[in-house]
Amino acid sequence: MKAAIQIQHLRKSYGNHTVLKGLDFQVIKGEIFALLGVNGAGKTTALECIEGLREYDSGSIIVNGKMGIQMQSASLPAHIRPMEAIKLFAKWNQTKADPSMLVALGIDELAKKQYIQLSTGQKRRLHLALALIGNPDIIFLDEPTAGLDVEGRVSLHAQIRQLKAQGKTIVLASHDMAEVESLCDRIGILHDGIIAFLGTMEELTAKVGRHYTICIKTEQKEEYFESDDIGNTLLKLLETYKRKHIGIRDLRIDRGTLEQHFLKFAKGERE
Amino acid sequence: MSAFFYGVSLQWKLDIRSKSLLITCYLVPLLFFAIMGGIFTSIMPDSKNTLIQSMTVMGVSMGALIGLPPSLAETYGRDIKKMYQSNGVPLYFGLVSMVLSAFVHLFLMSVLLFLAAPLFFDANVPENIPLYFGSLAVFIVVSLSLGSVLGLACKNQAKLTMISQIFFLPSIMLSGIMFPVDFLPKVLEIAGKIFPASWGYLFMVDYQFENLWPLLWIFLTAILICVFLIKKMKTE
Repeated sequence: MKAAIQIQHLRKSYGNHTVLKGLDFQVIKGEIFALLGVNGAGKTTALECIEGLREYDSGSIIVNGKMGIQMQSASLPAHIRPMEAIKLFAKWNQTKADPSMLVALGIDELAKKQYIQLSTGQKRRLHLALALIGNPDIIFLDEPTAGLDVEGRVSLHAQIRQLKAQGKTIVLASHDMAEVESLCDRIGILHDGIIAFLGTMEELTAKVGRHYTICIKTEQKEEYFESDDIGNTLLKLLETYKRKHIGIRDLRIDRGTLEQHFLKFAKGERE
Repeated sequence: MSAFFYGVSLQWKLDIRSKSLLITCYLVPLLFFAIMGGIFTSIMPDSKNTLIQSMTVMGVSMGALIGLPPSLAETYGRDIKKMYQSNGVPLYFGLVSMVLSAFVHLFLMSVLLFLAAPLFFDANVPENIPLYFGSLAVFIVVSLSLGSVLGLACKNQAKLTMISQIFFLPSIMLSGIMFPVDFLPKVLEIAGKIFPASWGYLFMVDYQFENLWPLLWIFLTAILICVFLIKKMKTE
């Protein structure tokens, strides 16, 4: 598998504080990869080094392809209009401005509004449109759905999946674990300046196990059961309720989320 | 090159949409002219000889020292500079496009003053018009270079407003546009020479080269500081 990004022994310090202590990982071409870490773990520093926005002390970064970076809000002048921003970025990237990009991202009706008048979701979509100018091979998305409503998230997730279908490599930084879990092929968990875990969701689950909480609501009460073996536990519980002739009004299963695993790694409990 | 020109023309439009720049480059200077022009020419009839120059110095100083720095601080103090870096655009692009745009706005405002002063206050028009506009262009560039230093050096808007005033008020009070510098104590007269407004005013009145050199020194020093500040930003 060809690497889109190859990081080796990446180190970066701010004064006496070493943020990245020899980062090693690769992002495979065509995958959606998420770099996770609690605040201060060095996630932003690592991404900015890869994006070329920050100088690093030592190590190597090899990027095989053109990069497109979705910036965060407040990274455009307040009074610029979406179409003007697209034209400006197109000129910088020596390509033609494509108004259909606004249509594809559902922000065409905003062409004449000023950046400052856009909602958070509209700004996110505009920044995604700007990141796609110049047809990049690798797209960096920083908290792409932060501040979006449910409809906006679903729409943006669909667009991200479409980009993957087009063969783009996507590197995601997000605090939204549900988003990472539903979108990403692989994740890297950054803890204390190194990669504490690197792999797929399945590998992570296999490594740390999956813990379930079963909630059963009857006429009389609501009961909770903890289990690592969902199949057997659920069968036994249902048989018990049947045998005792207790009617079940509702049943809910909460599976262990990536968030739980992430927090354990982030706290260094699983090293 | 097309990206550069589009960037500058876009910046010009953004400046028009930004109310703060409209206020500092047009509204306040023209209001000041409308009020003070009448007062000056009433109490000091001789001021008609230099009304265009003195009002222009005030307007340019306001636009360059109060109007430009906050826009620069907004660009270089926030994520907007990442917009340049992520697109492989040199960091000085924002500075150059903002300075060029502000230059055009201040030049237009100066032309308005040049046309309005004789009409409303019977002010005398400079004898050598090409030389007047040449000296005006030099003064605007030097003032903008000083404004650029302020905008790049200070990223905190509240502090910047204070620092800009520290440069703007003496520029107006000690440059000789409000009253002759001979009336000032020696210390303040010398202090006034630090600011481009003093030399710019003299240069626009008599076009003497001895008044051009201090402006060039201020400009070169400001450019060196700007280059240093932008290089520092790259490594931050």
